[in-house]
Amino acid sequence: MKLKLDAIRGCLDGAIPGTIATCSADGVPNAAYLSQVQYVDADHVALSWQFFNTTRRNILANPFARVALIDPLTAAHYRLLLRYRRTEEEGPLFEIMRAKLAGIASHTGMAGVFRLLGADVYRVLEIVQVPGATLPPPPPRANLLAALRASVEELCLCSELDGLLAQTLDCLERHFDIHHAMILMLDSSAGRLYTVASKGYDASGIGSEIALGDGVIGVAARERTPIRIGHFAADYSYGKAIRDNLERSGQAASMDTEIPLPGLPRANSQLAVPIRTGQRVLGVLYVESAQEQRFSYDDEDVMVSLAGGLGAAMQLLHHGTQDHCDENRGTAHLPPAAPTGPPLQVRHFGENDSIFLDAEYLIKGVAGSILWTLLRDHAETGRTAFSNRELRLDPRIRLPDISDNLEARLILLSRRLVERKVPIRIEKTSRGCFALRVERPLQLSHVPAPG
Amino acid sequence: MDHTDPPLLDDELAAFVCREVSITVASCDDDRIPHLARGTGCRISPDRRQLTVLLAAPAAAEVLADVRGSGRVAVVFSLPATHRTLQLKGVDAVVVSAAPSDAEHAARHADAFASGLELLGYSAAVIRSVLQAAPAELVAIRFTPSFGSLQTPGPEAGQALRA
Repeated sequence: MKLKLDAIRGCLDGAIPGTIATCSADGVPNAAYLSQVQYVDADHVALSWQFFNTTRRNILANPFARVALIDPLTAAHYRLLLRYRRTEEEGPLFEIMRAKLAGIASHTGMAGVFRLLGADVYRVLEIVQVPGATLPPPPPRANLLAALRASVEELCLCSELDGLLAQTLDCLERHFDIHHAMILMLDSSAGRLYTVASKGYDASGIGSEIALGDGVIGVAARERTPIRIGHFAADYSYGKAIRDNLERSGQAASMDTEIPLPGLPRANSQLAVPIRTGQRVLGVLYVESAQEQRFSYDDEDVMVSLAGGLGAAMQLLHHGTQDHCDENRGTAHLPPAAPTGPPLQVRHFGENDSIFLDAEYLIKGVAGSILWTLLRDHAETGRTAFSNRELRLDPRIRLPDISDNLEARLILLSRRLVERKVPIRIEKTSRGCFALRVERPLQLSHVPAPG
Repeated sequence: MDHTDPPLLDDELAAFVCREVSITVASCDDDRIPHLARGTGCRISPDRRQLTVLLAAPAAAEVLADVRGSGRVAVVFSLPATHRTLQLKGVDAVVVSAAPSDAEHAARHADAFASGLELLGYSAAVIRSVLQAAPAELVAIRFTPSFGSLQTPGPEAGQALRA
């Protein structure tokens, strides 16, 4: 039977470095070690181009290369005949390889030496298993397809975004043995992702933000491609971002408007998968582990499939919730309690829609704008019942666009209020409806944007 | 190469190629299609002019055929612990039978290489399996290194041993 590239993907994750033979135009052979062999599709691999060396000169003159790979579990030894096709110097494949190389470089003590100049794409012409002894494969860690099926079946039952997010993280833990995960939504007009759900961290980090292109999550969203790293890489570490953040917040705690990102202090394995619907990126599903090489190509496959289901479910719920509010039911079981205690000072900064409660930062951006609108309405008219639909249409909120996931913004705001233990809550009362609950008298003040 | 030239390898490099290094042999056929094989040990002549690289014949069939046809060979030696890497090339390569002591030599090499990698966290069983060669299958390629370059990743990669 002809060997397929898919069948030997386990050899490509670099546990045992591959080797490459090339030949100059005048027939001089050359051998070299490979940092990275990347699976592109069933017929193509990409090799990292890092230096102008003999291999590089040879393949430009004579496009054939022979690559030897070893299965790190069974010692099965394969040789591939490749033909050079092209070099990519930007884009998804380049970023996938750049991120992975950063991990490999740091793992092998080559940080600062390895720098990706390009992703050299080769067509695989032939794969042959080399005669030699092999070891029996170890039993599989888990049946990933069964885990995926169980997860998808559970996610299908979710009728609200909040539950869908929680169920996804729960499935990762129960079915995939993944204990550190977060889900971020994309605000494409701001070019940022915001955390709406997380699991496995001391602080949830709900509301924390990452810029497009920042770390594996930001790159995955920008390039619309999964990014996977099997070793710690300082350039892609969120632990560093967290530390920097903590240092900053130590100096300027009172005015800091950054919520620290959740994240392991040292993630040796990271996988970020875009959550998409059609061509649109809705957000990113991110998983990480302290263990090295925790996520394989197969893990990446199932996470992409899971994120596909998640994206479809998000889109379905998004459309389903828009016009379903029965506003009369909204307040029925929530008689407004009279606020008591000392007044809480609420300051809204027009510059970035940030809200401070007394001296403490709460939230900014769209979620800040929503809260400010609710609190003003409440102060002026005493109303407590609201619907998603009216917020979506409210010009004061300035949603980035009509397709923005308002539901996700409300989840973020609601969780942030609970986490900060402030005397303000928003609580869902029925589909598309929620109530504002204020337990202390509020003193609202607005600081207009400068200029 | 003139025989009055000093050998390409000094004592230190001669010792290096015989250490617990990874050995990769490359060749190419008349159509300039490259081939690869793994070496399972290396001997060097007392005058340091000739290298003999051991291979398992069934896994190296194409390389052996290429070398018989062209005499050209490239061999890369790399020490995983330090990434120090040396490539040597020759144009007078010949395929020779393994010497009686080569089976033991190959076994020692596989052992040393696997032990070195085990310290770095690799599975020794997998490495031993990769390098395992039945004594009856051992064969050797002998050549005079006429070109050498250091290829340890970094700014000096590719630097020739002697201009």
